Amino acid sequence: MRNFKLVVFTILMGMVMSYAQNKQLLYDFYEIPQSLILNPGVKTPYKWHMGIPGLSGFSFQAGTRDLSVNDLFAQDGIDFTTKFRDKVINGLNQNDDFGYSGQLEIFNGGFRSSKRPSDYYSFGAYGEGFASIFWPKDLAVLAFEGNASNLNRRFNLSHINQQGEAVSVLHFGINRKINDRWTVGARAKIYSSIYEFKSTDNEGYFVTTQGDDNIYRNTLVADVTMRTSGIEEILDIIDENTPNTQADLASLLLKRSLLGGNLGLGFDFGFTHKLNENAFLTASLLDVGFIYHSGDIKNYTLNGAASNEGVEIRLPEDLTNLNNDIWQDLIDDFERLIPLETDDKTYVSLRPIKLNASYRYNFGQYSAKSKACDCETKPVSKSEDFDYKNALGAHLFVINRPRGPQAAITAFYQKRIGKVLALKTTYTADRYTLTNIGLGLNLQAGPVNFYILGDNILGYQNIPASNYASLQFGFNILSWNSN
Amino acid sequence: MKKFVCHIILISMIFSCADDQDFNQFDDLSVEPTLASSIFYFESDETTINLAGPGAFYAQSFTFEAFNEAFISDNILDGIITYEVENTTSKELQITIDFLDVDGNILDSESFIIQPEPAPLLERQIAYGAGGRSLDILRNTTDIRVNGENLGDAVSTSPQTEPKIILRSSAEFRLKLR
Repeated sequence: MRNFKLVVFTILMGMVMSYAQNKQLLYDFYEIPQSLILNPGVKTPYKWHMGIPGLSGFSFQAGTRDLSVNDLFAQDGIDFTTKFRDKVINGLNQNDDFGYSGQLEIFNGGFRSSKRPSDYYSFGAYGEGFASIFWPKDLAVLAFEGNASNLNRRFNLSHINQQGEAVSVLHFGINRKINDRWTVGARAKIYSSIYEFKSTDNEGYFVTTQGDDNIYRNTLVADVTMRTSGIEEILDIIDENTPNTQADLASLLLKRSLLGGNLGLGFDFGFTHKLNENAFLTASLLDVGFIYHSGDIKNYTLNGAASNEGVEIRLPEDLTNLNNDIWQDLIDDFERLIPLETDDKTYVSLRPIKLNASYRYNFGQYSAKSKACDCETKPVSKSEDFDYKNALGAHLFVINRPRGPQAAITAFYQKRIGKVLALKTTYTADRYTLTNIGLGLNLQAGPVNFYILGDNILGYQNIPASNYASLQFGFNILSWNSN
Repeated sequence: MKKFVCHIILISMIFSCADDQDFNQFDDLSVEPTLASSIFYFESDETTINLAGPGAFYAQSFTFEAFNEAFISDNILDGIITYEVENTTSKELQITIDFLDVDGNILDSESFIIQPEPAPLLERQIAYGAGGRSLDILRNTTDIRVNGENLGDAVSTSPQTEPKIILRSSAEFRLKLR
């Protein structure tokens, strides 16, 4: 029970995959080397950088669309079942998703090419995971109310829509300043899947109608698939429940993290384009790739159609039928018509492609030292690009989700205070919220760089009532380009 | 103004707070769906009844383990079994339904006597659980026996097209899933 409550709390406290991977505060915040992860073509005003292992980057995002912890668990004297019915069963629909995403950098570094100073190479490894569960509205109603009061209602099986994964990523990227106007970049990634589950694109329904012969007729039409990889072995270890369970599990996860899982390949692309002295256009396309799942696979399918009006005895046809296992025959027929089958077929999963784009306008005490002559290929210097006092702009994020692309639009304001501090504040609107204000801080103390980025800070006034929470932070050691 | 806004935001983060929450409320969640399904359907034409002659024309037991499936027997709160009997034959008939346990003992019995056509549809609802019959009847039922008896003659025929005796049945069970 305790674990079940914890799960429910976690789901409610958290999640929303759709914008969970939107990192609008970090995007184009190029004082922070991790902004390279979001755009391999971002400005790189460093000679080299090295993330502090385990501390260079951590992000976690969680949220819900129409439900907060406070909605259910506030001490308001309202019967909990009533709240659950109103807020969850009747309040959510199949387009409401619960999800979380997290990312932890294992190591991250970069250096400028000595032979070709316009090139900046970056490399690293990180682990990331997410879960996204769309609320199975119809099945929840069926479980909560039953079918007796819902005659003729089709309980739609397409509401089963969930996926999640954990993956480690090894990456290497090149960032090149082509000229004073263009900086482009690309990154190659090797994915090692730790586990994955996915059940999307399901179809079918369950319906109870008036029977043709008997009183009720129950009909199930199902085309439901659940693909899993890496799950079975984990479950087997957990089921063993021996003193070595934790060690075995850690060993398995470590092995899969170090390219011992199902492998895949992907690419990131991006650019920064200087429109004029103060205006910049940037864009990136991330995770154009796939993972080939060939090990520890177990796929489930439920496919078929059957209708039932109970056990039937018809005379004279059944007069000579002395079989009294009619009930078992009924069950067998059902399982024959709608078999639950498993297989271990390999499959390919595409990565969720993400698009970022931004427009940025610098203003204030900008002292440009270079002119837009389309000829300058020297690396960006710290003094040039950190010489802005203010920056204002907009950012678009789009992620490809099972139910189509989902977008978020952000307006941001960025300000440098002296040589050590940069602040960024964002306002983000998406299908989940219109009140998401974020705040980011980058602190430069000599070669040590520290950043912390928090989203939806208004929600901190009452965390349980918040639909969404996000936090990123990290440490780096870096050396700036000389002027 | 910008400084003021920044201060407000910083202060709101520093002094972030939370309303009191009571997660033990989850223990009060009650999930009690009512499930509906047909149970069995019995039909006999008049010719078969006449061929059997007066008296019993059908007696058969069959396994029926829907009620004692763990999902039902462990969770049932109450329920109603509905019977509908329709007779378009020319004779008075009796249909008896017995619920049997695994040893063949009769746990419950329901008998229907229905007049020759034109007889109205006979409907009967039997409640189980609070205020009704014991739920243990359902929990322990593993077999159902159907008996059909001709209380009239074996020669007359009904003017109806395709005269039959039909018994329909369904169950509506309220379960406590939580």
